[in-house]
Amino acid sequence: MDDQEVRRQQALIAAIGGAPPIGLRETGARAARGLEAYRAHAEASAERALRAALPTVQALLGDELFARLAREFWHAQPPLRGDLGEWGDGVAAWLQAHPGLTPWPYLADCARLDLACHRIERAADAALDAASLSRLESADPAQLRLVLMPGAALVRSRWPIVAIRQAHQLTGDDAERAFDELRGAIALPQGEDALVARDGWRAVVHALSPSEAAWTELVLGDTDLATALERVGPGFDFAHWLQRAIRHQWLSAVARTSSSREA
Amino acid sequence: MSTEQVGIGLRQPHYAELLSRPPALGFVEVHSENFFADGGAALAVLHEARGHYPVSLHGVGLGLGSAAGLDPWHLDRLARLVERIEPVRVSDHACFARAALPGGDVVHANDLLPIAFSEGSLALMASHVGQVQDRLKRPLLIENLSAYVTFSGDEIAEPEFFARLCARSGCGMLLDVNNLMVNALNAGAADPLAACRAFIDALPLGIVGEIHVAGYSEAGEIAIDDHGSRVRPAVWAACAHALRRFGALPVLVEWDTAVPPLEVLLDEAARAAALHG
Repeated sequence: MDDQEVRRQQALIAAIGGAPPIGLRETGARAARGLEAYRAHAEASAERALRAALPTVQALLGDELFARLAREFWHAQPPLRGDLGEWGDGVAAWLQAHPGLTPWPYLADCARLDLACHRIERAADAALDAASLSRLESADPAQLRLVLMPGAALVRSRWPIVAIRQAHQLTGDDAERAFDELRGAIALPQGEDALVARDGWRAVVHALSPSEAAWTELVLGDTDLATALERVGPGFDFAHWLQRAIRHQWLSAVARTSSSREA
Repeated sequence: MSTEQVGIGLRQPHYAELLSRPPALGFVEVHSENFFADGGAALAVLHEARGHYPVSLHGVGLGLGSAAGLDPWHLDRLARLVERIEPVRVSDHACFARAALPGGDVVHANDLLPIAFSEGSLALMASHVGQVQDRLKRPLLIENLSAYVTFSGDEIAEPEFFARLCARSGCGMLLDVNNLMVNALNAGAADPLAACRAFIDALPLGIVGEIHVAGYSEAGEIAIDDHGSRVRPAVWAACAHALRRFGALPVLVEWDTAVPPLEVLLDEAARAAALHG
């Protein structure tokens, strides 16, 4: 590593962040203007990347506040990768801890749901391994596990996050009706658990019942089928879930557990 | 007039139109990092485009001049994309992007930040270009930047820096003539076009593999390489000069912000084709 280049580059990054410039040929207002060009580019990148990832959060906060927070987040948790589609893992927790956002107590959970949708739209393309379904009839459930599609995620909340996301995707009278219902659900508050899946290229959010959410958590935790059925308790209809899982492209495969593969 | 050697950027607003009625173009260009995902719609579009055109993968994130080193994750993703798309060319910039913060985290600026034109910087660039070429098993083209600040005490003239980089690492150069113009303007050159021509004339024959043209804007006292407007007449003139000197190289019309209707971009591509004669 070349120490001089290390120092030069760290100094330039710091200067773009607002520190006094060191080692530049330009001085005064010309240096400031040049650094401002880089700062403006960074801020525009932050806004663009988070707009793509967090559409519901943007709709809730409005363009101006959202843009300000995106810039703030860039400085708080700068990207570590050169693909901004990968940036933002910490954004929900950051929003939750932000002192200026107490009027939106559901914001962090909405961000988690938005981000899960963003991630699944970048996940590997996959199709159901239909042949693997026969294992459900022939193998010991203790040696099987269900594999959901790449990027499938469960987001649990004490707020109506599915209704909030959907209301912000509607327009006109439909949106008015949805927001009327939403105000009641938020006042209670009425929580919702969501499974994020994909229909073709697009993320789709499915509201789950409490038993479906508990089941999904077990499945995503790689629990074997026998244990999952035992733990999920009464009120869960596996046959019905399996039909939905196939119809809505939640399920990727029925696989053998690692212990059964070793055996 | 032939568009065989002319390409445009494949950008989201044009996906449907470009792929339903593919116009005559020599290639399309994409920013590699926009296709690093494991799957999804954008990657499917790129695969479809590959059925119509050669694809030039133009990176904006390797940070080849970063003293903090290359990001192995980035290189892995690029190698996977190259394998998937089999591009006609792979390129990135003579810039840095990664730097360690005081806390130790190595951040990625997601921007094309200027490098010093020093012996140390040349050694870093050559080493990193070599690493990438070894991994991809193909030569890279390295683009000259538009830089809004520069480092004092640069030891090497920029054309010489590129000549030595190409000789040392076996890479080629991607000559962005709009960047030459932006730098000339920002340096206060009395005759910016003459400065661009002088830069082009100082490059050895045989190293340039592609030329970029684009629009720039003027914000106060500096010009910004924003790729958001038509190519300026003086940039076309610099492009023509480069083509006369280096021969009929591929020319890319870049337009990345305020992306216009496809017909505007194709009109710019036709102007580039006219330069090829």
